Amino acid sequence: MFDRDIWQEIFHSIRNNKLRTFLTGFSVAWGIFILVLLLASVNGMQNGFYDQFSGNASNSVYIMSRTTSKAYAGFEKGRKIQFTNEDVDYIKGSFKGDYEYITPVFQRGASARYKQETGAYNVSAINEDHIYIEKIKVAQGRYINKSDVVSGAKVAVVGKKIVTDLYKKEEPLGKFIELNGLPFKIVGVFTDDKDEGAESTIYAPVTAYQRIYSNTNYIDMIMLTYNPDFNLDEALDFSNKIAVLLKRRHRISPEDQAGLRIWNTAEAFNDIGKFTGVLQIMSVVIGLLILIAGIVGIGNIMVFIIKERTKEIGIRKALGAKPKQIIMLVLLESVFITALSGLIGLVFATGLLTLVGPLMDAPAFKNPSVDISTVIIATIVLIVAGMLAGLIPAIKAARVKPIVALSDK
Amino acid sequence: MIEIKDLHKSYKMGSNSLHVLKGLNFNIEEGELVAIMGSSGSGKSTLLNILGMLDELDEGSYTLDGVPIKNLNETKAAEYRNKFLGFIFQSFNLINYKTALENVALPLYYQGVSRKERQEKALKYLEQVGLKEWAGHLPSELSGGQKQRVAIARALAAEPKVLMADEPTGALDSKTSYEVMDLIQKINDDGNTILVVTHEPDIADMCKRIVHLKDGVIVEDKKVDQVRASQYV
Repeated sequence: MFDRDIWQEIFHSIRNNKLRTFLTGFSVAWGIFILVLLLASVNGMQNGFYDQFSGNASNSVYIMSRTTSKAYAGFEKGRKIQFTNEDVDYIKGSFKGDYEYITPVFQRGASARYKQETGAYNVSAINEDHIYIEKIKVAQGRYINKSDVVSGAKVAVVGKKIVTDLYKKEEPLGKFIELNGLPFKIVGVFTDDKDEGAESTIYAPVTAYQRIYSNTNYIDMIMLTYNPDFNLDEALDFSNKIAVLLKRRHRISPEDQAGLRIWNTAEAFNDIGKFTGVLQIMSVVIGLLILIAGIVGIGNIMVFIIKERTKEIGIRKALGAKPKQIIMLVLLESVFITALSGLIGLVFATGLLTLVGPLMDAPAFKNPSVDISTVIIATIVLIVAGMLAGLIPAIKAARVKPIVALSDK
Repeated sequence: MIEIKDLHKSYKMGSNSLHVLKGLNFNIEEGELVAIMGSSGSGKSTLLNILGMLDELDEGSYTLDGVPIKNLNETKAAEYRNKFLGFIFQSFNLINYKTALENVALPLYYQGVSRKERQEKALKYLEQVGLKEWAGHLPSELSGGQKQRVAIARALAAEPKVLMADEPTGALDSKTSYEVMDLIQKINDDGNTILVVTHEPDIADMCKRIVHLKDGVIVEDKKVDQVRASQYV
């Protein structure tokens, strides 16, 4: 196989048929190029999608109250559902072990002021679990802790945007921020490099903020994370159970889709996974189809070459070439052309990806790349393809009767 | 060296078969220079193909250097051809993209001879046919006579038991033909057994024995006084 003479023959044959070899090789290179780019694109989409959600814990569930769309239990439709602190306590009590973290969310807009600087911001009042659910990155100071919540301390954690807006170059920690006229002490600053809009949010303890608003126990949303050991089915089962119980608690018809909205990350991830999975299969199929065109091309060329070299093969056989040696000659040539041109396609595709890939950072498309296993599989496919493309012509070549070479008179 | 007994060969042509060789018997001893003559259709090429193990016989027996040649598979036939026979063709059948030296070395490659030894041997035989200086040339750069001499060197390189020449001068002018025959005679003088298929009487006269074929049977088998080709060169 590593016989110098065989390689000399192959190189000679390629040298003598440059255009033909190029055209055939090109179709294989092109096939691989497309296949790799397709796979990388799907990968990029997947990365992009997951990235969209990675601001939150991947096991988070958001429960929002809405307005009913069906009359039920004596109530008319169009009734606004209002969650309270009791709903959080109810979930805590009913699903011990099923949830990991849970927080009520009470949201109000507020006009904030520090010295002469003012601005309108969104205030999310939460408890100490919230940091784990939305994966808040505290850049300075600390986050809202349990004792803040228990004591109803008037403290706040502000986004970086607010610091630049209101505090300019001043150190915000320990300073007060006036929210609708009431002073809150800043204990921490957070950043969010995924979503700059989120950096203009102010977090405060839910207890303190509810008290400001006429001592209400209303909340707008419940955020929780389910037990991380749950698989997809268990996670969906869990959020479905919550829906059933909360609907019963708030007298919402079990069939009413509007009264209660539950958003489960597991579901979203599952959908994305299915979606990109289908895309991946499609791109493999399309890529392979393109590849087949290239392989048929190589097979075609090989048949042609054999026809052209019938006489030479006859001479070789007359001189004592064994069928095995002829098959080897033809097979190696086709494997060589396929593998080489495939590798060229692979190099070009991966080169393009390394150059352009990192620059791609659209919302739903990020860092398209192929993993090493794809590359290895593609290479194996190529070599096998080359063998297949060369096999029939090779067997044909081995069957050439030496008489053919002799009967040239 | 060669023993042929009651050799029959026929070809199927649609529904009827064509009986080409109808029971040939002859022996060739070591060191003979035999011409097989006959007009086209006499069966001489078929005979050569069978002797050259390029075709199979239907009936009879063929023994080459004491080895019975029958029921050969492709691999075995290739091996025997390589070991026993050297071919010289009318149209030279050199591989056009290989140099003279590489062409001569090719049968040695199939014998599994090492690269270095191949080169040395090939050069030696090229020298014997007087073309040492042309070793690096491609067939397209050689004249007809030179090509045939390269082909002869190639046939010799494998050091075969029998050289088989199929119309070796068929594509050459008479002067070059005589040069080639002179070379063949000299090789025969060294003790090589040579079989020449030809339809030209003057070429046949340069052999030591003429076997005349007609319609698939031997009509004449005679020893002749060899005409030396060197006198015409």
